This record gives sequence, C-alpha cells and structure tokens, in this order.
Amino acid sequence: MSSNTRVACVMVGLPARGKTYIAQKVCRYLQWLSISTKVFNVGNYRRKLHGAHQMHSFFDPNNKTGESARKQAATEALNDMVKWFKEENGTVAIFDATNSTRSRREFILNYCRKEDILVMFIESICQDENLILQNIVDVKLSSPDYKNIDPEKAAEDFRARIAHYEQAYEPITESHLTFIKIINVGSQVVINMIQGYLQSRIVYYLMNLHILPRSIFFSRHGESMYHLMGKIGGDSDLSPRGKRYALALPKLIKENLGDQPLTVWTSTMKRTIQTSEHLPYPKLQWKALDEIDAGCCDGKTYEEIEETSIRDQDKFNYRYRGGESYRDAINRLEPVIMELERQQNIMIVGHQAILRCMYAYFHNLPHEDLPYIRIPLHTVIKLTPKAYGCEEERYRFDIDAVDTYRPRPPPKQNAQQTA
Amino acid sequence: MAAQLYKTSSGHLFHAGRIAIITVGLPARGKTHVSHSLCRYLRWLGVSTKVFSLGNHRRQVLGTAANLPPGFFSLENRESAQVRHNIAVECLNEMIEWLKEEGQVGIFDASNTTEERRKEVHDTLISHDIQPVFIESICDKPTIIENNIRSVKITSPDYIGWDPEEAVKDYWARINNHLGFYQTITDLSLSFVKMINVGDRIIVNNVKGYLQSRIVFYLINLHISPRIIYFARAGESNNEISLKTDADLCPAGWGDDERTLTIWTSARQSSVQTAKPFEEGYTVINRALMAELNLGEVDGLTVEEIKEKFPEEYELQQKDMYHHRYPMAESYQDLAVRLESTILELEHEKNDVLIIAHETVLKCLYAYLFDRPEDEIPRIVIPRNYLIEIIPSAYGCHETRMEIVDTFNNPAPILATRLTSA
Repeated sequence: MSSNTRVACVMVGLPARGKTYIAQKVCRYLQWLSISTKVFNVGNYRRKLHGAHQMHSFFDPNNKTGESARKQAATEALNDMVKWFKEENGTVAIFDATNSTRSRREFILNYCRKEDILVMFIESICQDENLILQNIVDVKLSSPDYKNIDPEKAAEDFRARIAHYEQAYEPITESHLTFIKIINVGSQVVINMIQGYLQSRIVYYLMNLHILPRSIFFSRHGESMYHLMGKIGGDSDLSPRGKRYALALPKLIKENLGDQPLTVWTSTMKRTIQTSEHLPYPKLQWKALDEIDAGCCDGKTYEEIEETSIRDQDKFNYRYRGGESYRDAINRLEPVIMELERQQNIMIVGHQAILRCMYAYFHNLPHEDLPYIRIPLHTVIKLTPKAYGCEEERYRFDIDAVDTYRPRPPPKQNAQQTA
Repeated sequence: MAAQLYKTSSGHLFHAGRIAIITVGLPARGKTHVSHSLCRYLRWLGVSTKVFSLGNHRRQVLGTAANLPPGFFSLENRESAQVRHNIAVECLNEMIEWLKEEGQVGIFDASNTTEERRKEVHDTLISHDIQPVFIESICDKPTIIENNIRSVKITSPDYIGWDPEEAVKDYWARINNHLGFYQTITDLSLSFVKMINVGDRIIVNNVKGYLQSRIVFYLINLHISPRIIYFARAGESNNEISLKTDADLCPAGWGDDERTLTIWTSARQSSVQTAKPFEEGYTVINRALMAELNLGEVDGLTVEEIKEKFPEEYELQQKDMYHHRYPMAESYQDLAVRLESTILELEHEKNDVLIIAHETVLKCLYAYLFDRPEDEIPRIVIPRNYLIEIIPSAYGCHETRMEIVDTFNNPAPILATRLTSA
C-alpha cells in the first residue's frame, strides 16, 4: 500500500440500511491487516452538539434549524477526520452518515479534494421491508437516541425519521463519482470508477459480507502427545485426554445448533482432524489453518528454545528461523477470514496461534495483545456476530489438559534504576 | 494476500470447485484481452487455468477467414449457422473435458451474444457440475473499439496478407452483423459481471464463491487501454547509473489518450537515487513493498561464503530456489506474495510506468507479466544497464530491451539505444 494514499469511505443510504454495520466491519478488517483506519460517525457528533433525544421532526428536510444543526455536525466530523489524516497519518477514514442528497455529497467531495483525500461512496440500498424492520428492532431501538423511550413509540418515531429522509433521498447516479452500490445485501453490486488498489480491496471485502444470523465456533484441538512432552509444533496424535475431548464435542455442538447445518474446518494436521473425527458434519481441511510454522524450533520444548525472550520483545512480528511470525500468519489467514465472512455456521478446530489471529479479527483486538490471547484447551468459544461486534460464550469441558499459556513477561524495570 | 500461498494435491484452490468463465459481447470489446489477463492472474495465484478460444478453434477446424465463403460470419446465414454452432459446441466440450481431467478454471472466449446460446452453455455446464460465471464486455466508446480492432484484430491470422484498411473495414462489417442479434444479459438468476468501458463501471450480479469474488476483484483493477511498462534495475549505490528519459520513453501517437510517465521505486536508497533525475517533471512513488528479497543472514555473503557457513541450507536452496528461505530471510515465494498488491496496482495504472527496483523484484514482476512458472522465477535474468520496455496486448506482453549508456563517463546525449524488437 503506498504510504501517501488517503481514502475516505463515505456511506450513503437511508437509515436502517446497515451503514454502521458496514462501516464497523470495514474498519475492523483493515485494522486487522495493519491499515490505519477510523470511523467518524456523524450521529455521535449530532448527539454531542444537540443532545440525544431529538424527535423525528428534527430530521424533516423542511425544518431549517434541524437541517443546519445536522450540517454543523457533519462539518465537525469532517474537520476531525482531516485532522486525524494529518496528525495520525491515517490511511482510511469511514464517514458514517446518511449523505443521502447530491448536494451533501458534493460538499463532502469538495472538502476532501482540497485535502488530497480520495473519496469512495458506499451506498447501501435495501428493498426488503423485513430486513429493514429487523435492523430497526436489533439496532436502532437500543441506540442512545431512544434511551428510556417506549419501544413502540421509538419504532414509530424512527419510521417517521426514515420517511423524512425518503422525501429528500437521491440515490447516487453521478457517473463521475467513485462509488460502490450494494443492493439487497450484495445480491447485486455496482462498482464505478474505482481509484487504486486499496479501494478495490475494500470493494472486494464488501462483496463478501452478509448479515444472515449465524454462529462461529472455535475450538483448539484436544490435548496432544506433544503437549504432554512440552514440545511445540510437530504433527503428533491426540493424548488419551484429547481423545476424550473429541468424543465429548458432538453433544455440545448439537445442544447449541439443534438441526441447523454446520461445516467444520480443520487444519491438515492430525491433531485437528482427530479432534473433529466424531462431529457428524461436512468437514474441510485448510492448509492455511495449519499452526504457525516454528521453523527450526519445531519439535523443541520452550526450555530448549533460547530465543524465547527475544520473541517476547515483539511477539507479533517475531519470525522463527525458517518459520513464521504472527504477522505472516495473518497474511495467510486472510482468505480464510474472507471465506468465513461468506459462510453461515462454521466450526473451526484449530491451533492456538491461528485461533488467536482469528479471534482478534472478530473482537478487533490490537496486534500487540494478539499473541497473548487466552484460548485454553478443551474449551469451545462460540461467537455470534451482531451489528456492533460479536457476542461470546465459552464452554469449558471437564476434561483436564496441560496449560499451554505463556503470559506476557513484565515490562523491563530499567526506569526504576534512577529512582 | 493469497497469491500462491498453498497448493492442494487436487490443484483446486480455496475449495472452490470447477468454474467456467464465459465471455459475452460484440467483437472487439476486449473479450480476448480480459480472458488472457485473467488467465495469467489466476495462474499466478496457482489456479490451473486455460483459455478456450472459439476463434482459434474455428481456425483450426476450418482454416483462416480467407478460406471461408463470403458471408460465413453473417448471422443470417443459416447454412453457416449450423457449422458455427457445431464448432462452438466442440470447443465448449473440449473445455469441459479439460476441467474434468485437470483444470479448475476454464475461460470460454466467444461472443455468446444471445440469451438462447447462454442458456444452452449454462445448462450444459451445470449438468457437469461446473459453475458458470458470465463476463460481459460492453463498450460504447467508438475510439476504444477502433483501437482494439487496429491493435488486435487485424493482426490476427484471419487477416494475414490483407491491406490494413480493408481489414478494418471488413471487421466493422463483422461487428455490425452481430448488432441486430446482440442481447445484453438481463437474466438476474445468472451469475454475471458486466464490464462497461474497460473497467469504468462494473456490475456484479449473484456472484458467489471465494474464487469468483477474487476474479471480480481482479477485474475491478483491470483495464485494456494501451500503455507501456518499463523495467530498470536500481543502480549500485557506489556506481550510479544515470538513467534519464528520452523521446523513446514517451511515445506519441497512441491516439487520444493522455498518458504520462509515473516512476515507481522501492523505498531503498539505490532505487530512490536512480530515480533522482526524474524528480523534476515526473511523479515518483516510493513503494516500501517493492523492497528487494530479504536475504537474512546470508545478506552480503558471496556464494563461497554461504557454502562454507550454511552448507545444509545451500543444498536445500539449490534443490528448491523458489520456496527456500535462508535463516531470517524471505523466499521468492514470500516476495511474490508481498508483491501481489503491487501487481494489482500495476494492472490498475493507466499511465506508463517505469519501475526501478532490485533484480529480485523485477524477476517476480516479469514472471507475472510473461506468465512464467514459479520455479523459473529465481533463474530469470534482468541484466544491469538495460531498459526493458513491455507492451501489454490482448494475447500477452511484448518486450524490447534497450541498452542504457553510462553517461557518467560518456556524456552523450542519446541515453537509451534500441537493441532488439520482439
């Protein structure tokens, strides 16, 4: 990615079309790939400037006070966005608002052009009434705008708010603009005048998103023979306790899913394949899910590996000699994440480092914390994606296993010497 | 990115199954260019891919257009319609056979301009458990079409020995003949991509699957306007080669386009300094991702020293130069994966580009542009003191190598001498 590129993704669409959902997802994905990204939500600015409890008349295009108040919020958000690009060397900003009129889009475009920021509009169009209603119930009624307000009244008010926007809504037709139009959650996509690789990458990601409800299960493979010996890497079999875990897994999954379909993904290593052995679902083996390659340290114990302390100084970027770093692993997991976005119920039976990378994606955890995420053995983690992140449940099995967790060493105490 | 990250024993990547790409569109809309570019990219990703060109198949069976009775291509000609249909069926079957035996993605390069024909192709493929994706090329800018006819069509074997102007006239007649029969795709149940005016606008309908979406990703970046790519190796830091543009770098006469020259360098000193003479008047972009192959602990060692210090690693490296990594180093494969975004940006770029980089980087980019297998990459030679001019065209790239005269010791005004022509 060239260092000087600045892209503003400007959302377009009526309320309850999933704009915020898209904005958050794109942000999380790009951050996971180490691209500096931030969302600027105009609604938050509006609430800060003019208070949360504004009823629908505030959004009436004929209400001049409301109109100028909303433009003020947009301008403040734009100012902050430009400041962020300059001061924090940002790469992608996501400007989350309705931006549903031509004049508003023209205003944003001119503002960004002056600052040498490329603008890509992302328009979400949804003609499915049920989906819109679902979105109102799931997301909007719990928004700060409707805190302590009767849900029925809130829904009614929100629909009136949508009606105001519909009056003035002008879908993008400006053929000189860079835009992507997502129609009915991706059943059709129109892509216009894409400028540069980074934008095409975002488009590519957006094309793979869906919003159907689903669950993602993560499990490490059961305890392995290498675990018992304290060795890392290798391709060993499950230990007797690991085999008991494999036998216990199907019941838990069945209790969670009932008759819903599920696909199980494993790595190509024996310990994950053996762990999934008794699960009565279709299975796929991914080479990309294989454990981080420990290179010349493969098959050694941590005591035998002299470099552990060097690795702890920057565990995310440390690459084993002849092997891989966590950063390398994220690169090879990118296609798995993309495929995971497209699928519905998936269970991944994987390895510690690999599941850390996947888990960090779903919870938007920073890279420096990623190598220290706790993913214990004989535990199933269930993630349910929601509009603003993932809900999580953990199921711990009553089958003992070794603890493979190595905590982050305490920071160096140099500073205290002068004290 | 996913480039060449792994291969499965079946050769089918990403659990994607078999896919058929079916081009749709009037003649001279860039279908062949799109087909061959896509094929090259997918092969770079490690996907077994092949183009099945109906035009080539027809020429194999019936000979070139010169052997055909006048009016053969007229869609109103019922006699030839049957012959043409049979040939199309044969060509499609050949692709299906190949997909069943070894391939993963087949590209059926034909016009497929009617709903009826597309339905037939679609149903045949589905019955063989192959997923069809249609790619329709639409172009309403006569200049693009005319350009395409002149650069591609009249050099085809159909027009060997023809007067160029006559050939152009004949080709326009062939296109006009199709016009009345052409139906754009309207069936929303089909999986399709419409490309309007070479990538200005793209409509994607009902496209599912990882590899399919990856194909769309590539198409978003693809264009087929004429342009030139230049390669030059970065000078050694203590022996600067002064590389300066001359008339040859910016050819005029490509028609109505307004290309300029952009210079890409790695962020390393040697590349940046080699590009120095261009700083006035040209855009110079430093790309950190274009840094040379990281040699890790063997950096700076001679071959003899490597043999002595890392005898085992040296043996391994000799056996598999593409995948091997020296301690703390990158393999060529790592480098190729790192260059994936550069490659897509290169596809996207409409201006001419001069790439000044280390030889290892140029080897990978060269292999991509010329569709070379990965095991050849480490052995490709990019000579110092040469400028390589690469012109992408519908069927592949053409190169010319020019010697760069060292003006440090020889301040002659002519700096690049054209040597060979492809």
